[in-house]
Amino acid sequence: MAFDKMELKDIEVWDGNFAAAQALRQCQIDVVAAYPITPSTPIVEGYAKFLADNYIEGEFVMVESEHAAMSGCIGAAAAGGRVATATSSQGFALMVETLYQASGMRLPIVLNVVNRALAAPLNVNGDHSDMYLGRDSGWIQFDAFSPQGAYDLNFIAFRVCEDHGIRLPCMVHQDGFMTSHTAQGVETLSDDVAYNFVGDYKPMNDMLDFEHPVTHGVQTEEDWHFEHKARQHNDLMTKVFPKIEEVFADFEKLTGRKYNLVEEYDMKDADVAVVCMGTSVETAREVATEMRAKGIKAGVVGIRVIRPFPFMQIAQALKDIKAVATLDRSAPGGTVGMLFNEIAGSMYNLEKRPMLCGKIYGLGGRDLTKAHLVELYTELQANVDAGKITTPLQQFIGVRGPKLSFL
Amino acid sequence: MANKGWDEFEIGAMLRSFDGSIDDIAGTAQVDRTYSPSSSYTASVADWRLVKPVFNKDYCIDCQFCWIYCPDVSIIARDKKMIGVDMDHCKGCGICVEVCPTNPKSLLMFPEQAEEEAEIASWPAKDEEK
Amino acid sequence: MLEIRWHSRAGQGAATGAKGLADVISTTGKHVQAFAFYGSAKRGAAMTAYNRVDDAVIMNHEKYMEPDFVFVIDPALVYTSDVTINHKDNTKYIITTHLSKEDLIKAQPKLEGKEIYTVDCITIANETIGRPIPNTPMLGAFMKVSEMYDIEFFKESMKRILGKLPQKIVDANMIAIQRAYDEVK
Repeated sequence: MAFDKMELKDIEVWDGNFAAAQALRQCQIDVVAAYPITPSTPIVEGYAKFLADNYIEGEFVMVESEHAAMSGCIGAAAAGGRVATATSSQGFALMVETLYQASGMRLPIVLNVVNRALAAPLNVNGDHSDMYLGRDSGWIQFDAFSPQGAYDLNFIAFRVCEDHGIRLPCMVHQDGFMTSHTAQGVETLSDDVAYNFVGDYKPMNDMLDFEHPVTHGVQTEEDWHFEHKARQHNDLMTKVFPKIEEVFADFEKLTGRKYNLVEEYDMKDADVAVVCMGTSVETAREVATEMRAKGIKAGVVGIRVIRPFPFMQIAQALKDIKAVATLDRSAPGGTVGMLFNEIAGSMYNLEKRPMLCGKIYGLGGRDLTKAHLVELYTELQANVDAGKITTPLQQFIGVRGPKLSFL
Repeated sequence: MANKGWDEFEIGAMLRSFDGSIDDIAGTAQVDRTYSPSSSYTASVADWRLVKPVFNKDYCIDCQFCWIYCPDVSIIARDKKMIGVDMDHCKGCGICVEVCPTNPKSLLMFPEQAEEEAEIASWPAKDEEK
Repeated sequence: MLEIRWHSRAGQGAATGAKGLADVISTTGKHVQAFAFYGSAKRGAAMTAYNRVDDAVIMNHEKYMEPDFVFVIDPALVYTSDVTINHKDNTKYIITTHLSKEDLIKAQPKLEGKEIYTVDCITIANETIGRPIPNTPMLGAFMKVSEMYDIEFFKESMKRILGKLPQKIVDANMIAIQRAYDEVK
């Protein structure tokens, strides 16, 4: 190979952004088309620097907007390259139109989304508004809880999405600042081991294959559109989980680090549980352990794969729980939070339906403290003791002013 | 193309020009290529046409304007010489006539039922005003 | 769990200092976390950075912290920022100032009764590195106060972390770390 390799320590102290940038280097991305935005900027900046320093054979394409960034990625992926980029918040919102193009065209692009609030008011800090905005776009969505996850899930994402039986784009989410700018120990893979795990890119229907000319991005009206969307949904619902589980298993064999569609923590004998995403999962695990010392059997369910949604796996994890709270880090805009909705749907046909309430928290990077979680577990236990939900179904955590609750 | 079920076609909003592989596509004329049934080359839109272009090679200077501007790639050229119109794909839009720079024009629009030889025999004379 | 809060101005290198410290500690087998509060702050605005150190993997991602150590690397922040917020009884303070400890407490009575160490990181940085970047000297002072590592081991580790900077700057930082180690009281 014509490019240089980098010597890494077994454990490097990296923030989530740099971990993702290193993963893109080790995967040898052919094309990154990007329009940088806080807090995801260091990912594409890192790729550009590695490229300039001859650690990558690839192409960095500077474009005029996030819409153009994803459009460039779509073109490069259709041409037959390994493609990735990164964005956040307003940039993600501008990218939405092209997200649907990428998934409909079945192009295996990896998009690192460093989750950030959506304006107005303008805010650069982390919440899950942009993540939620992408949830119907037909992409596979992985969620990292720490810089280690942001590193590992990039390798996993390429293996899953580039498989010829899958060919669907993947997002790897991490919390803005709380993961992206928080340095922690990251267990690394050597350049060769990392690249071999992902493997050489195997093109499919690529436009640069002149012996098999193809037209990408065709128009279909009511005579064909439904069949294309049905095919895409079928593949999301039936093919993606088996592939992810196969790749998770291979990754565990390689690294010892085990990922699951649904990350259960102390759920086996739990009475009360919270369901959440991002860094909150890890904080909740620490609090759950502390609650057990106080006699409350607490557990945590972290959603590792948001799309496709692990409907049956969630039901399995929650079937013997007495009271569950969902933690949504996005303003639901006039309804219950996304997780409340999905979890309610998952549990509806269970024999013993757990009590369910939903919390809205952490908007615009507002801190979720351990004290908040202690209060939440205590409230869930009070519901269990009373045998019914004693609070409104939807409550806001950590907002100033009179207590906000609905339903 | 038959209306297949959701599981009966290749993934992606993608169409193949050829079934199987093709060699030297740049060196093979359209008429000699074995296009896939999913390619629009095998579909005729001749019946969309109400008026048609007639080509009079006596005045043509092979400037290739019509070849460049035709929105349906229906101008047939060989070795940079205009040789006629692909009447299976021409929709009769008249753009080739608009862009033709000769005097008189080497392409003119006539009703679909007009006789080509008769129209060429009575082709308009040079317009001296221009 | 050891927890540290840095008070700094954006541009003085608190986030870099926190990450550098985390990097050194990580090489000794401990688990670390380093982060900062950003927002849209521009160079010169008051900001805070944080370190967590533990023997086990650090799961806690809350921003709230009751620190064991507070580093103040800009001399004006003891007056304009609340450097004692969320303190514990045994929180230790290492404060950049040209004042004596007594004069500092007189000027900021909130520090009365706290365990305070002073060192003039700004002057040290100006005289060694040539710029008022007080982050590495603060770490030298921290090594003295905490007795966390032997200063020679720490300097060797920092040499690796600063490795990409010009040799002259790396050498100046080593002198700055040693001076702060020697001068903190």
